[in-house]
Amino acid sequence: MAPGSVHLLAASGQLGYGFTVEALRRALAGGVHAIGCDGGSMDPGPYYLGSGEAFVSETALRRDLALLLEAGASAGVPLLVGSAGGGGGVPHVEHVCALVREIAREQGLRRRLAVIHAEPSRDLVEERLRAGRVHPLGPVPAIDAGDVRRAHRIVAMMGVEPFQRAVEAGADVVIAGRSSDAAIFAAPALARGADPGLAWHLAKIVECGAQVIEPRTGQDCVVGHIHDDHFLVEPGHPDKRCTRRRVAAHTLYETPDPVRITEPGGVLDVSGATFEQADERTVRVAGSRFEKAPRYTVKLEGVEHIGHRMAFLAGVRDPDLVRGIDGFLDDARDRVAEQAAALGIDAADYDLRVRVYGRDAVMGAREPERGALPHEVGLLAEVVAPDEAAARAVIARARYVLLHTDFPGRKCISGNLAIPFSPSDLSLGPAYRFSVWHTMELDDPHEAFPVAFEDVGR
Amino acid sequence: MSAARLGDLAAVVRSKNAGAFLLTLDVMFDDEALYRRVRDAGVLTPRSIAALYGVSDNEVAVIAYDPARAIKVTMPRGVASGDPGDADVYGAQQHAPLLDLPVPET
Repeated sequence: MAPGSVHLLAASGQLGYGFTVEALRRALAGGVHAIGCDGGSMDPGPYYLGSGEAFVSETALRRDLALLLEAGASAGVPLLVGSAGGGGGVPHVEHVCALVREIAREQGLRRRLAVIHAEPSRDLVEERLRAGRVHPLGPVPAIDAGDVRRAHRIVAMMGVEPFQRAVEAGADVVIAGRSSDAAIFAAPALARGADPGLAWHLAKIVECGAQVIEPRTGQDCVVGHIHDDHFLVEPGHPDKRCTRRRVAAHTLYETPDPVRITEPGGVLDVSGATFEQADERTVRVAGSRFEKAPRYTVKLEGVEHIGHRMAFLAGVRDPDLVRGIDGFLDDARDRVAEQAAALGIDAADYDLRVRVYGRDAVMGAREPERGALPHEVGLLAEVVAPDEAAARAVIARARYVLLHTDFPGRKCISGNLAIPFSPSDLSLGPAYRFSVWHTMELDDPHEAFPVAFEDVGR
Repeated sequence: MSAARLGDLAAVVRSKNAGAFLLTLDVMFDDEALYRRVRDAGVLTPRSIAALYGVSDNEVAVIAYDPARAIKVTMPRGVASGDPGDADVYGAQQHAPLLDLPVPET
């Protein structure tokens, strides 16, 4: 390791997405100051934040955690996990911590664990909302105190400071709730005095792991080296390479603006960044800047429970029905409403939708291709109703109506649908929607993120 | 001169959520000259994107990023990610209409 430089290992794009043992070993052999791994994302949608479930399997989480706990212990460096358990809420974090305790016991390791929760109190969010210190992030509906109270769960996205506090206080393992993906890696880099522009940019590049690696065959380790006036990024695996294209592309991944990327506490400005292929497997980046913001803000993400979701899938191959599908579905909706009313369920209380795959299900109203008639279509019927009993009742009626209702020229009088499964009706569980997507000003970067310590293992 | 398709010139044409309420489309090039040709041809503008996606042109931002030879287009999602009626929770399959955009010869 070069003196004055910072070396960081990003184990995977997400804890539970995996990495190769070969890449991990090789990366550690070069010497690193910290091992980081992003644990979550809001990309899989509101369900996971609401339900408290992870969107990777426990089997995969356990495998990755076991290897990384052992790696951190043998290298004598901290292991930092952000947005643990996917959503980064209390149940997500507790799930991952339970696995850490179990694995540490099994491995016979004694580790100092720091747990950082990221669900701010509703009182704090309401107080900031009243004070005009909560701001919509993009084209988001306005919220009031009622929305804050009604939300099923709200997480705040922490910056580097809680990670740094945990490590300074002696943590070997940090399991943190919702975090800026980049903060996981910027935290140890900044603590070691790295240039803020380079630290945040490197962090943004490595947080998705193998997204910057070719050939892209699953997830794997990435290593970053921050020097005085540039940083290098390379794959852990000896047979893979980082390419200029992938690294440059990742700079603007999932950001609304390619040049200015907002983080807690400031903005990463990459307008002056340069990307060069340093050697076959390494990319060199320089010129990124970090501007400190006048006010420290964190992102809030919250979901509201909206009922129970049921669905069924079916194919239609009859050419007359494919041709007349829109009118057929409109009629069916009215019939379902009548029959639901007979069951005591008002049509205003449920939301029934039928998507037509093969035509415009993917883009909906934004689909520009409207001409050709497919020879078959897939129907995905979905209902969200206030409770599971109502949702089951409506989806069953919708299935019956679509299966057995006449349409002009109907010859297939024994059934209109090819239903692929028995059971046909799928329960997708409680349904949620994102109701809070805002930024909140903090008086102190630690304000919403309490750090607790415990010794795990033996 | 005949026009080329954007999909034949670009190395990357992708879409993704930029948060739960915004959709972002990235068009990227391996070749600097091709990148400049598309960037300067006025192929990707708020107006062309608005027409293609049926949105209002004041909702669309188009920003070129020279270091990555990339042009980024950002617009609101039709509905928020995972809301009832959303069909693409990750926003990963909203790029296809861009592939057929004609790019004039310079």
